[in-house]
Amino acid sequence: MKVSKWSERFFGTPLPDPVVIVSFLFPLLYLVGFLVIPVLVMLGTAFKYNGHFSLYWFKSIFESNYYFNLHPGDYLVKTIEYGGKEVYHFYGWDFGVVPNSIIVSITVMILTTLLGTFFAFIMARYEFPGKNIMRVLLFIPLLVTPFVNVVVVKKMFLPDGIINWIFYEHLHIFPKPIWIDGLVGVIIAQTITYYPIVYLNAYASFINIDPSLEEQAENLGSKGFHLFRTVTLPLAMPGIMAGAILVGIFSLEDLAAPIVFQGSAIAKKLMSYQIYSSFVSGFAVGNPQMAALSLIMLAIALIMFFAVRWYVGLRQYAMLSKGGRWKPRVAKPKWWQALIIAFVAVPLLLITIFPQIGVVLLAFSKTWYGTWPSGFTLDNMKAIVTQPDIKRVIINSVIYSTVAIVIIIFLSLTASYASSRFKKAKLAPILDSLATIPIAVPGIVIAMSYFFFFSTVPPFKGSIFDPTNLLHFFPGAALILAYSIRRLPFAARSISAGLQQVHVSLEEVAMNLGAGRWKALTSILLPLISLNLLGGAMLSFVYCMSETSVGITLGSINSTWYPITAKMKELIIGAVGSANLAAALGVFLMLVQIIAIVIANVITKQRYSFIGLT
Amino acid sequence: MVEVKLENIVKTFDGTIALKGISLHIKHKELFTLLGPSGCGKSTTLRIIAGLDYPDSGHVYFGDEEVTYLPSYQRGAVLVFQNYALWPHMTVFDNVAYGLKIRKVPKEEIKKKVEWALELVKLKGFENRYPTQLSGGQQQRVAIARALVVEPKVLLLDEPLSNLDAKLRLEMRSEIRRIQRELGITVIYVTHDQEEAMAISDRIAVMNVGTVEQVGTPRDIYERPKTEFVASFMGKTNVIPAKVVERDGDRVTVEFESFRLDGLHYTEKSDNVVLVIRPERIKLRPGENTISLNGTVDLIEYYGFFIEVVGLFGETRIIARAISDKEVANLKPTQPVTFYIDRDDIIVLPKQNL
Repeated sequence: MKVSKWSERFFGTPLPDPVVIVSFLFPLLYLVGFLVIPVLVMLGTAFKYNGHFSLYWFKSIFESNYYFNLHPGDYLVKTIEYGGKEVYHFYGWDFGVVPNSIIVSITVMILTTLLGTFFAFIMARYEFPGKNIMRVLLFIPLLVTPFVNVVVVKKMFLPDGIINWIFYEHLHIFPKPIWIDGLVGVIIAQTITYYPIVYLNAYASFINIDPSLEEQAENLGSKGFHLFRTVTLPLAMPGIMAGAILVGIFSLEDLAAPIVFQGSAIAKKLMSYQIYSSFVSGFAVGNPQMAALSLIMLAIALIMFFAVRWYVGLRQYAMLSKGGRWKPRVAKPKWWQALIIAFVAVPLLLITIFPQIGVVLLAFSKTWYGTWPSGFTLDNMKAIVTQPDIKRVIINSVIYSTVAIVIIIFLSLTASYASSRFKKAKLAPILDSLATIPIAVPGIVIAMSYFFFFSTVPPFKGSIFDPTNLLHFFPGAALILAYSIRRLPFAARSISAGLQQVHVSLEEVAMNLGAGRWKALTSILLPLISLNLLGGAMLSFVYCMSETSVGITLGSINSTWYPITAKMKELIIGAVGSANLAAALGVFLMLVQIIAIVIANVITKQRYSFIGLT
Repeated sequence: MVEVKLENIVKTFDGTIALKGISLHIKHKELFTLLGPSGCGKSTTLRIIAGLDYPDSGHVYFGDEEVTYLPSYQRGAVLVFQNYALWPHMTVFDNVAYGLKIRKVPKEEIKKKVEWALELVKLKGFENRYPTQLSGGQQQRVAIARALVVEPKVLLLDEPLSNLDAKLRLEMRSEIRRIQRELGITVIYVTHDQEEAMAISDRIAVMNVGTVEQVGTPRDIYERPKTEFVASFMGKTNVIPAKVVERDGDRVTVEFESFRLDGLHYTEKSDNVVLVIRPERIKLRPGENTISLNGTVDLIEYYGFFIEVVGLFGETRIIARAISDKEVANLKPTQPVTFYIDRDDIIVLPKQNL
C-alpha cells in the first residue's frame, strides 16, 4: 500500500481513501463554488468603475446624505393627530441607510437579549403553577410566518389596535394612544420575531450551569441579584451572546419588517430594503452600487460574527466543571418574583405570541380594520388547495426544498464527518470555518451575489439560470443553492452532535474487522446517526419552505416559479384583502412546522443509549 | 505461524513523541503483554499493530510480510477495544456476525461460527439481546467473540478488564487465558496493572515514556528487573539510593547512610546506583550469606496473613514483609530491629532520572 505524506497532511490519513477525499472535497468545492466565488464576482463588480479598479461605488455610498446622515432627520416620538385624536407617534430618527441598519440591529439585539434572558431565567430557575403552559406558549413565537406576523404586529400597534384597546381604553395605563410606526415598528416587529432565539440559547445556558458553582457562591455568602450578576450571568453569557449575535445578523438582513412598514418612508431607509428594492426596480441592470452596499452589509455581519466568536472563544468555561448529570436548580418564586411573573412575564408573553394567533385570525377572516378582524370565512384556507397560483407556489417550494435537503444532508454529513474524524488534516479547519461562515452571510447578500454570478459567469450567463433573462429565468438552481448553503451551518451542527455521540471506536472496530471505510460508514455510522439525519432533514425542510431573502428577490422574478414566500410578499403588498390569503399560507407553513418539529422531537427522543463510553 | 515484529517504531502526536523507536518481537502462540503507566505509549503501539494508526517511521511485520501501512481491514489483527465498542443498533448475533458478513461467508456457516464463538465465551442463548441489555462482563465477552469469530492472526486486547469490577476481572482474566490456550493464537495484551500482567502473560514488555524498558517472562521482570523503573513499577519494593565505593570484578561494595554492603553483583559503569530489595526477601532472622542491617522499628502494618515491618535505618525507610507470627507481631515502634538480606536478593541498578 502506498503511503502518501500529501494525503496525511491534507486529509489526515496517510492512505488516500476516496471516502475521506470526497468528504473533504465535496463540501469544500461546493462552498467555494457557490459561496466564495459568487461573493468574489460581486466584489469584482463593486470595485470596478469604467473598467478599472475603483472605490467609486463605495464613495458614492459614503458621500451620500441618503446613506450617511449625521444630522438625523425625523423624530423618535411626537404627538400627532390621528382620526381626530391625539396619539403618540413612534417613528425613528433617520441617520441614513447604513447607520439606520446598524442602530436597528443593535437595538433589536439589546431588546431580544433582555426579553430572551428574562424568560429563560424564569423558566430555568423557577417552579410555579402554569409553568408547563408557559413552556408550550413560548414555543409559539418560534413558528415562522414570513411577512404576515409583521402585518399583525403592525395592526396591534396602530392607534386603534389591540394594544391601545387594552392599555389605553380599558386599563388607562397609556395617557394617549400610541402608534408604532417607521423604524420603531421595524424594531418592535423584529424583537417579537427573534427573541425566542435568545431565549432558547439562554435557557440552554442556564440549564447547563453546574449547580454546585452557584451553591458554592451561596455558601460563601452571595445571594439574590449579586449571585446572578457575579456567577450565573457570566457563566451563561457565551450562550446568550451567541443567540444575540444571530439575532443581530437576522435583523440586519430582515426584509419582512421593512416591507410591511414600507408605508412610512423611513422603513425603506435600511440596507436590506435598499438592496431588495434594486431587484424590484430593475432586474436587467446589475447595479454596482448595490453590490457595494451588499459588501458593506456583509462586512458588518462578519465583524459581528467574528467579534462574538472571539468573545465566546475566550470564555469556554463549559468544560471546566466535571461530573455526571445534575438536576438544575429550581426554586419557588418569592412573592415579588411571583408578581413579576404574573404581571410582567405573562403579559409580555401574550403580546409576543399574539402575532401568530393574529395570523390565524387573519387567515379565517375577510377583513381586519381596527382592533379585531371581521367576517369569518374559510375561503382563504380553501384557496390553498383550490386556487391554481397558490397550489403552484406550494408545489414549487416543496420541490425546491426537497432537492435542497438532499443536498444539505449530504453536505453536512460529509463536512462534519471530515472535520470531526480527521481533525489533524490541514483542510479540516478550513472546511470548518467555511461551513460555519454562512451564518454570517445575510441572505440578501447571497441573493445579490448570485444575481451577479449567474448573470455574468459562463456557462450560466444567458442560460435559463441567468436572472436577467426575466421570463425565461428559472430560479430553482439559485434557490436550492441558497437554501443549502444558508442552512448548512445549522444542519451540520445537529449532525456533528450525532457524530460526537458515536465513539470513533465503533467505526474503528468495524474497519479492524475487515470493513472498508465506506462499509463502516454505511453499516455503523449512518444507522447510528439516522435519527439526527432525519431530524436535521425535517428542520431543514421547514427552513427552506419559509426562506425569505432569496425567495422574494431572485425567486420573485418569474411568477411561474415563485416559491411560497415570493407569493406571500406579492399578496401583502398587493390589493386589499389579499393579506388574508397570505395569512392562510402562513397558517399552512405553521402547520408544516408543527408537524415537522413534533416528528423530529418524537423520533429523536428515543435515542439509543450509547454504551461503554465513559 | 504468526510472529509480530516491530522495528524502530517512532510515532509523534502534535509534536510530542509518543513512541521513541521501539522494537519488539512477539512469538507465535504467545500471550504478550505491553505493560506501563498511562501515557507510556502502550495503546499507541497496539493501534499501530492493528493498523488504526500509522507510525512516522519504522516497520511492522506479521511473519515475513511487512504490514506497516496495510489498511486495518486487510491485516487480520483484530482489536478488542477498552470500551468494547459494541454497536448498540445490532443484536449480539449481528455484532459477532459482522466480520463474517464482510468476508462474504455463507449464511449457514456464519450461524455455525457465531454459535461456536458465543459458546467459547459462554454466551450461548444471548444471540438476540442488544448490547444495552448485557452486563459489563457479558459485553466484554461479546467483544471478544466478535474478534475471535473471524479467526484473527493476532488478537489485540486493549485494557480489556479495566471496566470490570474486581471479581469479574479475576474471572475474565483466567477466561482469556483459557481461550488463548484453547485456540492457540497469538495475543497482545495491554494493561497498566502489573499484577494482571504477571498473572496472565507468557512474556511482558514494560514500557515507559515511549520506550521499552525490559522484555521478559513475568518472573524475569519481577526478580531480575533491568532498570530502576521496572523494579519500582513491578509491585511494592524498596528502592534505596546508594553509591559504589569499591569494585572487584563483577562484585562491588556500596554505601548508603552509614551502611556498607559488600560482595554485591554489579557490572554497570555508573557509581550512582539504587539497591532494589523486594520486601518479602528481607528476613528478620539471620541466614547463610546474609547481610545484616541494624535499625529501629518505625511502623508495623498488619495485613492478616503477613505483616509489614517498616524499619528506619538512619533516614532511610525499608519495608520487610514477614509471615505473621508471635515474635513479629509483638514488635513495637522504636524498638531496635535487625533486617537480614541475602546478597543475591539485593539488585544493584544504575540510578535513573524518573
